[in-house]
Amino acid sequence: MKIWTSEHIFNHPWETVTQAAWRKYPNPMTPSIIGTDVVERRVVDGVLHTHRLVQSKWYFPKWTHALIGTAKTCFASERSTVDPDRKQMVLKTNNLTFCRNISVDEVLYYEPHPSDSTKTLLKQEATVTVYGVPLSHYMEDILTSTISTNAGKGRQGLEWVIGLINTEVQGIARGTDELIHNTRRSIDEVTESARKSMDEISTQAAKAAKAMHIT
Amino acid sequence: MNSIGEDCNELKKQYDACFNSWFSERFLKGQTDDSACAPIFRVYQECVKRAMKEQKIELREIETEYTTSSEYDNSSSSGGKQQQSKS
Repeated sequence: MKIWTSEHIFNHPWETVTQAAWRKYPNPMTPSIIGTDVVERRVVDGVLHTHRLVQSKWYFPKWTHALIGTAKTCFASERSTVDPDRKQMVLKTNNLTFCRNISVDEVLYYEPHPSDSTKTLLKQEATVTVYGVPLSHYMEDILTSTISTNAGKGRQGLEWVIGLINTEVQGIARGTDELIHNTRRSIDEVTESARKSMDEISTQAAKAAKAMHIT
Repeated sequence: MNSIGEDCNELKKQYDACFNSWFSERFLKGQTDDSACAPIFRVYQECVKRAMKEQKIELREIETEYTTSSEYDNSSSSGGKQQQSKS
């Protein structure tokens, strides 16, 4: 089992960040998320409860395919609560379709920054467990790196959506196209470096596998 | 963002638009009555459930958890983590 945690501060108030969180997908930074659906939603005692199905495509290094199969479409279950009084949004995600060998659980907490309410604090935790396959530790390490990369992209994605919302609020309709254009350009660079680091991980992993006569 | 069922996309788009404005204009301002988007939500839900059935997506375990946890009771089955979120 591998646990990964991270904190991030958004320079936007909680209300803006939570609105953006619902509209997080699609964004150019996380093309792996290809569909979302609300399965259940209701307000109980002033708290909004939502259950969503999130469809994503994960790509793993080739050498892992024999162990866990090629990357296919995956479905994750995301359950969230938004408490407007306490100003807390919590999203918990469990993956549904890797269940046989891999379990990835992720929790996101959005709260106003304790010392500056104009900012929002995001806390993230992910737990990765790989069962019953050889090289479980390597697999967990790779998944954790993937999550780490994806988390960074997720935060950039959210910033991108906040940018859109703020643009909408200011009523600058023309600005959006420009924003998308400029963002795409800078994203290409991000994607490129993320891709490079994934390549590096898979090279290292392949070397390790070779050394252990797996391939 | 697309729906998992291609033919639900239009309904999803309408529902999302309704929800987003309800969330920012009402819910965050303390009005918790969620009936505004209920009609479109119902139609969209039927479509999604159908799509899930067609694609054989199983939410059974999760739904079981749901019904046994007295509708989103905070102290439900996933206990440990939920409590962390309260601290």
